[in-house]
Amino acid sequence: MTDRLERLINLVIALRETRRPMTAEEIRRRVAGYGQDEYEAFRRMFERDKSDLRALGVPIEMAPLDAFETESGYRIDPKRYDLPELHLEPRELTALALALRATGLYDAAGTGLLKLQVDAGDPDARRVPLEPGLGLDLGAPHLQALMEAQATRTPVRFAYRPLGRDEAQRTVDPHALVHRRGRWYLVGRDHERDARRSFRLDRIAGAVKAAGEPGAFPPPPEVGVDDVVPTAEGGPATAEVLAAPEVAWTVARRARGGGRERPDGWTAFTVAVGEPEDFLAWALDLGPDLVVEEPAELRAEVVARLRAAAAATAAVEGAR
Amino acid sequence: MSAAPTLQRLERVLLMVPWLLEHPGVTVEEVSERFGVPPADLVRDLDILGYCGLPGYGGGDLVEASIVGDRISVRMADFFSRPLALSLREALTLLLAGSALAAVEDLPESADLASAVAKLRGAMGADARLAIDLRTPGDEHLEALRGAVRDRRVVRLVYRSGSKAETTERLVEPWAVVGARGAWYLHAWCRAAQAPRHFRLDRIRELDVTREPAERRPPETPQPAAYTPEPGDESVVLELEPGATWLAEWVVPDTLEELGGGRLRLAFRTPSVEWVARVLLRLGADARVVEPAGLRTRAAELAASALRHYA
Repeated sequence: MTDRLERLINLVIALRETRRPMTAEEIRRRVAGYGQDEYEAFRRMFERDKSDLRALGVPIEMAPLDAFETESGYRIDPKRYDLPELHLEPRELTALALALRATGLYDAAGTGLLKLQVDAGDPDARRVPLEPGLGLDLGAPHLQALMEAQATRTPVRFAYRPLGRDEAQRTVDPHALVHRRGRWYLVGRDHERDARRSFRLDRIAGAVKAAGEPGAFPPPPEVGVDDVVPTAEGGPATAEVLAAPEVAWTVARRARGGGRERPDGWTAFTVAVGEPEDFLAWALDLGPDLVVEEPAELRAEVVARLRAAAAATAAVEGAR
Repeated sequence: MSAAPTLQRLERVLLMVPWLLEHPGVTVEEVSERFGVPPADLVRDLDILGYCGLPGYGGGDLVEASIVGDRISVRMADFFSRPLALSLREALTLLLAGSALAAVEDLPESADLASAVAKLRGAMGADARLAIDLRTPGDEHLEALRGAVRDRRVVRLVYRSGSKAETTERLVEPWAVVGARGAWYLHAWCRAAQAPRHFRLDRIRELDVTREPAERRPPETPQPAAYTPEPGDESVVLELEPGATWLAEWVVPDTLEELGGGRLRLAFRTPSVEWVARVLLRLGADARVVEPAGLRTRAAELAASALRHYA
């Protein structure tokens, strides 16, 4: 009885080097490690070997033996087997190695980096220490499965649970994965709604399952990082604010251009607004140390929230 | 023997052989270290490889694999002169890590990463679409802090604390710069607090990498910038309207109760009532404080003194 490793290596070599596809019977007779078994046992062994090799990424194809397609056989296309030459520079490889360390994905990348090192050489060890001093948490449930579904254009089905609402099954054509403000989103076409929607990965409950074949939908339109949030059409681009001396430096970070200091020590700035909700969160976190002057609608919203906060707290206080 | 180890060995053989063909005469020790395989396993796998080859398996068909002294030689294996193409999983993982770090602005590696990612994409059969936004205020401090971590230098920070809403100066011993939940943090030993702390980079007003060497070793496992309740932290209970329920995901809830109509009752602990009071300003009418009373008072005070500017 030969070693299974030996049989698998021989199968890869035989299928790679054969001029025409090999039938199952030819494999049984000619590839070392199969020969003596009775046909059913051979068939089970071969099916298992084939599926294990495919799982490793070995591209075993079925192809017709002749123009009439009456019989078919197996082969490995060397062009699909061989790692293409990527022409990576050593410094690019070093940067990739650092990226894997910093994102904690070094082990998840498996043998990927070592394969690239065959052409690009080894990473510069001085620039890729085991602890790079830089960490980036990209972890999200289902990320790997959804990336694979997106790359192969395979529809997916999952249970989705928006906060405070009931869980429901969704079927989605995955168009892109978007990372924004520390969160991952799947952007894709929701089958039931027949429209593009975004889904937060951490609100997917249970497993992500394939709901169709690879290539089931055409290449989708481009997706950008801003597609996951409702866009504020025509909202204000900048705001005029006054900052107390204590916080002027932090307000200056968001400012367009320098500040204008006033005699009372406060500084006037023009700052970027971006998404109004983000702006309001930033402004109100500074509490009494920031005053929103313009535009009127943002000023009014700040005042409304401050009044509501004051009222909510005072009312309960009064009720005691 | 179970199936998985055999496949791991096969994967390793397919990976090693192209490299061995390119590097004749390498030692067992070198190969063992490079591919993370114990020397005994390496010797066994090379022995098996010597029985493999083209059907016929005659003299000219077999791979020549030999170890003379401690030097390895593999020949007659042209079919394995290239590594197996990247699997979809390997390619996507490399792409994810590369795209993410390339999205960090101002790193010296950014340009190399961007071009590496473009080459990876070109070689992938599939059209992987990732859009990653990691820009945050404060990322201009990244490179200086990374250098301080690498050189193990004490850093002087002028820092506006989120929990006390005041700016103070302190000396810290930096361990790592960590991006999580949409912000960058410096994980460091704080000499003032005599405890490990996370400092958000966008709250750093000034920093100064001193010449003084840091003394404290970083902890074995890096700590994520997450909150763990400590004795003395305050318990907070809020009732949130649907527009404010996002807060439940920014704290670690002790309990979370649905009140109907999308409303939530959220209980959590915090080291900083001041931080919660400022969040309440933002939430306006969408939040009601159930307890503690001190939080209610502080939020009312902050709101009242802010409103004086708008009178």
